[in-house]
Amino acid sequence: MTRPILDVHELRKHYPVTEGVLRKEVGRVRAVDGVSFTVDRGETVGLVGESGCGKSTAATSLLRLEKPTGGRVVFDGEDVTGYDDRELKRFRRRAQMIFQDPTSSFDPRMSVGEAVAEPLRVHGMRDRNRRRAIVGDLLDRVGLDAADFDRYPHEFSGGQKQRIALARALVINPDLVVADEPVSALDVSVQADILRLIERVQSEFGLALLVISHDMGVVREICDRVAVMYLGEIVETGPTEEIFEDPRHPYTEALLGSTPIADPRRRGQGTVLTGDVPSPSDPPPGCRFHTRCPAVIPPDDYDVSSATWRAVLDLRLRVETEGIDLEAVEEYVTERGEAGPDAVTEAIREEFDVPPELPDATAERALSSALDAVVAGDREAAVERLAAAFPTVCRQRRPGFRLQGRDLDADQWTAIRSLRTWLAAQCNDDPQSVAALLAERESAGRRSADRSSDRRRQEDAGTPAERRRRVREAFGVPDRLPDGDAERAVASALDSLLSEDYEAAAATLYDAFDPLRAAACHLEADAPRDAPGDD
Amino acid sequence: MSADEPAETFESVDWDETGSRFSTLSRRDRGAIASLALVAAAFGYDYHLLSADRPTLTWPIRWNVTQLDWLFIVTLLALLFYVAVPLYSNRRLTAHYWAEFRKNSLAVVSLVYLAAVFLVGVVGPIFLSKPQLALAQSHQPPVYTAVNAAVPVNCLGDVASGMCHGTWAHPLGTTSDGKDVLVLVVYGMQVSMKVGLISTLLVVTIGTTVGTVAAYAGGLVDEVLMRYVDVQLVFPAFFLYLLLNYLFGGSLFMFIVIFGLTGWGSMARLVRSEALQRSEEAYITAADSAGAGTLYVIRRHLVPNVSNSVITAATLLIPGFILFEAALSFLSLGDPTVPSWGQVIAAGRSDLGTAWWVSTLPGLFLFTTILAFNFVGDALRDALDPRQET
Repeated sequence: MTRPILDVHELRKHYPVTEGVLRKEVGRVRAVDGVSFTVDRGETVGLVGESGCGKSTAATSLLRLEKPTGGRVVFDGEDVTGYDDRELKRFRRRAQMIFQDPTSSFDPRMSVGEAVAEPLRVHGMRDRNRRRAIVGDLLDRVGLDAADFDRYPHEFSGGQKQRIALARALVINPDLVVADEPVSALDVSVQADILRLIERVQSEFGLALLVISHDMGVVREICDRVAVMYLGEIVETGPTEEIFEDPRHPYTEALLGSTPIADPRRRGQGTVLTGDVPSPSDPPPGCRFHTRCPAVIPPDDYDVSSATWRAVLDLRLRVETEGIDLEAVEEYVTERGEAGPDAVTEAIREEFDVPPELPDATAERALSSALDAVVAGDREAAVERLAAAFPTVCRQRRPGFRLQGRDLDADQWTAIRSLRTWLAAQCNDDPQSVAALLAERESAGRRSADRSSDRRRQEDAGTPAERRRRVREAFGVPDRLPDGDAERAVASALDSLLSEDYEAAAATLYDAFDPLRAAACHLEADAPRDAPGDD
Repeated sequence: MSADEPAETFESVDWDETGSRFSTLSRRDRGAIASLALVAAAFGYDYHLLSADRPTLTWPIRWNVTQLDWLFIVTLLALLFYVAVPLYSNRRLTAHYWAEFRKNSLAVVSLVYLAAVFLVGVVGPIFLSKPQLALAQSHQPPVYTAVNAAVPVNCLGDVASGMCHGTWAHPLGTTSDGKDVLVLVVYGMQVSMKVGLISTLLVVTIGTTVGTVAAYAGGLVDEVLMRYVDVQLVFPAFFLYLLLNYLFGGSLFMFIVIFGLTGWGSMARLVRSEALQRSEEAYITAADSAGAGTLYVIRRHLVPNVSNSVITAATLLIPGFILFEAALSFLSLGDPTVPSWGQVIAAGRSDLGTAWWVSTLPGLFLFTTILAFNFVGDALRDALDPRQET
């Protein structure tokens, strides 16, 4: 394997929420909040997640259809986020997109031939006959007829339109195609045809393909690797088969459980998610999935089952966010012919599936005292008591992304990735000296940097060992990584870098880490399971 | 493509050849630009090199082209390139619209009538000389009618039992100045067409441009353009016209320019709201992701897709302008040198008791023309309604 065609590093897209005439920013919708993945040449990568998790925004911002708020997108050795208009136009020729709704993605006033020829025209092919010949040939190859050139979109079925959309994406011979839910608007019978066509076209032209989908079936069908997204973040990545056979993140597990299985014996085994998807304008602290996670981690000193813990946590979150509608509960209780605060707390427990008495005595004491506060109408006290008694690491800390089979913590892995992305972004640029690049990087890190000292440091690059140390320092990579393989890869990449062979340096790092799986979950960090393939 | 020569495919394209932005212009756009340049050159020649009193053309007819005529030529060119040519080149779409349109038979009759008015109005004045003052033949009645022989000074037709009968020499009779009403009506057609079409063209062009640019660019551009529209909509163009009319005297050119240049506000709003909706469509994003620039997207996607609303609104704007011009002429606020319908109606008003035809006949033409435009506009709205399209 070599350097991937696309490396997305910590991509962010926030939409400001503004108010008033002066457009004062009062909040942000974090649609995409630190998404990283790579796509190799000729590879199909799936980006999956529920509706509204930011998959499509990630796609449009990595293609620069919207300006990303932060992060890097390195496409074939150049950083796309820094492109000016001319470079962007060149990039547009090499990266194309297919849209979900085949109907709205065609201008009703333009014949499909013209629509397919549009990219050719935009990129300066003046000759009508030439455009016609190319488009006719391509329409033929995606299973339509060259004579369809002059027909209008409404004369085609959804499946045919999606074929035409594929032709439009291919017509300028791109290296990367991003397909946003390419088949979800189609009949199931047509879906298979389109997926086969996509696969055929991809292998024929060696395209890199990023497929965005909420349909695990589609992803399993065509993707080599998968990245699972939840609420603007990637929670797990890895090769498709491994993810499907052995999901590491509870969310992936739940997603897989949500696809119907044609096997009555295995029916009903999937975990079902409770609660709603939180709003990306106010994402939950810590692990973003903890409000719905079936495997949310209880503190060590409590002896409760995971289902009970989930129920207690649901209760806690409800009290914190909306509060409990006491009147409704009391009404319900009187309807059943009961009365008194005990009946009310009982009803609340019942509603949240919390057992009448928790098996753990300490927990039980805390819960009943909190519930008493709820019944007494003292919400703040209840919130406080619940928070103190039922902490979870999932809410306290944001889980980092951890590689499987490497003894690296999340920060080290992020540092290596940012070094890698930076190296990749140098590959096609005019070669600069390492020292100059380093100085740039360092002064970018320290805003108040003294210019003259920068220049001095640039000239006085120091011994190779010194320079290695400075590179590591600039990217936050520790001097000695705990993991042997990782340390060897980084050291060899640094050697290549010092001999100004960025290509080799980047390739070394990609080769060493990319085929690995990674997941962002406290379960992974605290209780590492077996490495993949060991079962 | 000959069969033995392998067709070019998309993989074989060498993308290092780069095109200029003009390559995105269609043949129609290039044709329109070329003819516009020709007209501009001819105008420059006429305006700067020929003295004002020398006629621009001496062959085949003597025609001193006025500023208004130049504008009318540009309008006709625009109609040719952006209405007639697209209708011709998208014949299947045209057939579809026509099938929808002809469901309304009243509108078909109206369209035929308007076509006749348009053709007669454009061609007629070239062959008919301007009506001249001829007091000797004043107040001749229309053909097949008769008035008391005392009304005309000198009855040209048969006089029988004290009644003067109309003749074919003046089929619609004459005015108190002895001007032929038919000739006046034909000249009035041209005036009405100029007023209706040129002002509407100005409104449509500016309104569509501002509306689509505001919608697609968004942000500050949108804000500035739309707030300007707000200001313009409260601007009393009528009083500006009165003022200029008082200062420089009435002229049809001034009427058209003032009301054309200040009347596009609501058109811009309409277009903007429509274009805002369209710019959310995925085909716009698809064009973006193909690398298309702002101008290209507006020209090739937004404008064609808002054109239905624009055309419908325009067919209802035209009668408005015609009626307004007639009203101003009737109040003697118009161009005294131009024989517009409103002016003839006003001229015949005092003689309504004796010579009823002077006011009535041009009034009838005004009435039917306005009515026909309204019918056509309604039928067009039904035929083009984008909500019915799939």
